[in-house]
Amino acid sequence: MWRYVVWRLLLTLPTLLGAVTFVFLMVRLLPGDPAVAIAGVQATPEFVEQVRREFGLDQPLPVQYITFLGRLLQGDLGISTRTRQPVWEELWARFPHTLELALAALVVAALIGIPAGIISAVRPYSLFDNFSMLVALFGVSIPVFWLGLMLMLLFSVQLGWLPATGRGTLAHLVLPAVTLGTASAALIARMTRSSMLEVLTQDYVQTARAKGVPERVVILRHALKNAFIPVVTVLGLQLGTLLSGAVLTETVFAWPGVGRLVVESILARDYPVVQGVVLLLATTFVILNLIVDLVYAWLDPRIRYE
Amino acid sequence: MRRLSRVVGLTLVVVGLGILGALEAQEPKRGGRVVLGMGVEPENLDTIRMASAPAAMVSEHITQTLFTVDLQGNIVPELVESYEVSEDGRVWTLRLRRGITFHDGTPFNAEAVKFNLDRFLDPESKAPFRFLIARITDVEVLDEYTVRLTTDQPFAPMLAHLSHSFIGMLSPTAVQELGSGIETNPVGTGHFKMKTWTRGESILLERNPDYWEAGLPYLDEVMFRFIPEDAARVVALEAGEVHAIMRVPPADIPRLEADPDIEVLKVPSVRTIYIGFNNQKAPFTDVRVRRALNYCVDKEALVEFVLEGVGRVSDAPFSPGIFGYSPMTPYEYDPERAKELLAEAGYPDGFKVNLYHPTGRYLMDAAIAEAVQAQLKECGVEAELITLEWATYLATLRKPPEEAVHDMYLLGWGCVTNDADYCLYPLFHSGEWPPVGWHLSYYKNEEVDRLLDEARVTPDPERRAALYKRVIEIIWNDAPWLFLYSEVQVNAVRKGVQGLIHHPREYILATEAWLEQP
Repeated sequence: MWRYVVWRLLLTLPTLLGAVTFVFLMVRLLPGDPAVAIAGVQATPEFVEQVRREFGLDQPLPVQYITFLGRLLQGDLGISTRTRQPVWEELWARFPHTLELALAALVVAALIGIPAGIISAVRPYSLFDNFSMLVALFGVSIPVFWLGLMLMLLFSVQLGWLPATGRGTLAHLVLPAVTLGTASAALIARMTRSSMLEVLTQDYVQTARAKGVPERVVILRHALKNAFIPVVTVLGLQLGTLLSGAVLTETVFAWPGVGRLVVESILARDYPVVQGVVLLLATTFVILNLIVDLVYAWLDPRIRYE
Repeated sequence: MRRLSRVVGLTLVVVGLGILGALEAQEPKRGGRVVLGMGVEPENLDTIRMASAPAAMVSEHITQTLFTVDLQGNIVPELVESYEVSEDGRVWTLRLRRGITFHDGTPFNAEAVKFNLDRFLDPESKAPFRFLIARITDVEVLDEYTVRLTTDQPFAPMLAHLSHSFIGMLSPTAVQELGSGIETNPVGTGHFKMKTWTRGESILLERNPDYWEAGLPYLDEVMFRFIPEDAARVVALEAGEVHAIMRVPPADIPRLEADPDIEVLKVPSVRTIYIGFNNQKAPFTDVRVRRALNYCVDKEALVEFVLEGVGRVSDAPFSPGIFGYSPMTPYEYDPERAKELLAEAGYPDGFKVNLYHPTGRYLMDAAIAEAVQAQLKECGVEAELITLEWATYLATLRKPPEEAVHDMYLLGWGCVTNDADYCLYPLFHSGEWPPVGWHLSYYKNEEVDRLLDEARVTPDPERRAALYKRVIEIIWNDAPWLFLYSEVQVNAVRKGVQGLIHHPREYILATEAWLEQP
């Protein structure tokens, strides 16, 4: 098992290198200059030159790339061209906030999605099933922007129950987490439902029922655990999606996470920060995938990693 | 007669009492915290490295400048007490206010001014706005409170440029001790001191108890909160999470105006929005064509219906309230006249051009471009709209004339120095064509060049104003631009906050603000 984990971690290195190289080239292919993005139309040619020199952007691309990789190996992500703060500090200040929001959204999504999916599967085509699947359809279709603003208007302006923007207390987390988690809740509900429906028709479930096992135990122990494998996959991947999909939610709720940071950085052509955020998200994604694979083994003892 | 004087006297007393009563009701209260909601976080707060209005807004609370601009557009001394300029306009002697200290206790004196100006002027300083005072060749300390600035040639906009937020005075001790730390911990002489900066969230300032203007400031704390989304900023104001916001979207104005707890303010801005023609490329090499397009577009309608009243039709290449402004008569909306002129110029059936415009950079910019497109079509001119993301947009347009891709382009210019030199020189002087500057219309008129050069070195304000008047007349008749409008900032404030200053430089100051219920 541990050999497998180490092997998988080693395999992630080429993936990460690929991701970083891709982004390195992408941001440089965009037209636009960091210096002009900093000083706007007021930037003088001397200033533009100075910024290019300071950040090594006057070097040929291969030289820039080798310098970048060399620093990366020493754990140095460089300096933000916009704020002139070390990229590590910028990421470190923001990533925990994004993680907090994504995890809260995942909890919201799981708490709504899994029970809704189970009940729908147990009573397929019932009123509840039809209704919850309709709601789920809305859930995946609603634009995050619109949902966020509506929730703010209702719960912050009209009712005054919850804060509209910013971060701090648990109350601040509620609206962004619900906004971000809604689409995932809908997806998880649909996934749980179809997976449960499939499992419930299998022979061993019939056997369990025939043995006289109470229905509750049949569903929650026998069926659910097996139905969970695709659901866990979705949960794991959803966390990745939530982390990177937090961009819009963070913008609407003025949530100080990496999503907003990357948007601001792209607009400001802040290459080092964009590279840093992508590297961080790619690493998180790869690690999440590994965890998901390991959870399979726990859910289904037939799966072995050698 | 005597009776009359008694009546007058009595009236004066009554009026006087009235004013006193009003003053008493308006007596500022001490304490509390004001929260201002802004869209963009400052990039950093080391004055010489700043480059944006949001950074200037925060910095103005912490760091002060030698001169400043009041709300009427006058340049008045701030950290300077008095000044004089030599006959030839090359030597400026500044006498500083005494008894001022920086937040860290370092005295504010001639040495400190020299330190800051030298730092700003150092070619290695990385100051994006170094060009503002780049004419200064020497900064000399005459005595503890007198500094002498020498320029290589007379430079008339000097005082206006010294009023720029980016030439704020920082404590020399702090700059030396903190190194790059000064970027997040500025130490100035201003009303408030830096307390905490939570990246991505907010900046919190606290009262400077040793502030040099007696009685000020009233507030204990000022907080700046960063809420990027326009609609969310409005919601935050309605929910009472912030006291004041900037850039209210036009669609939200009626709702906020209907709210008894909120006041909406329309503040003139120094930013002028225009559509430039490529003056070096047919058909815009012909002045009749340029004039025709000015007649073809209904500016009043753009302001009224697209901007919902949030704008002012241009009557000069820059806004009122700036030194050197003199109004012309706007080209009236007259499509028939436009068609005649086009026919005269040899385009009876119009022509096809492109029109580059940004989306989301200025208020309703894309909608304005679409409206202009529709109006030009009435005159037979087909304008193809091309929009690009902002940084790409600037990089695409900023090309020398022979490489230019644009026929027409929509752009804004914030004349932040409050001096006509900065409004006109970079945009109309032919020495400023890319790659040197941002003169993207490639307009060339030797008389304009000469007058702009002369106005730059003429110390006498009256004579300068006359020169600019002439320049504006020529530009207006040559019509190198399709003149549109200047922006009006829409800010909204919750009731209960007094004394906020809504500045044309696109910021709100809480330096003299107070809360009715702290």
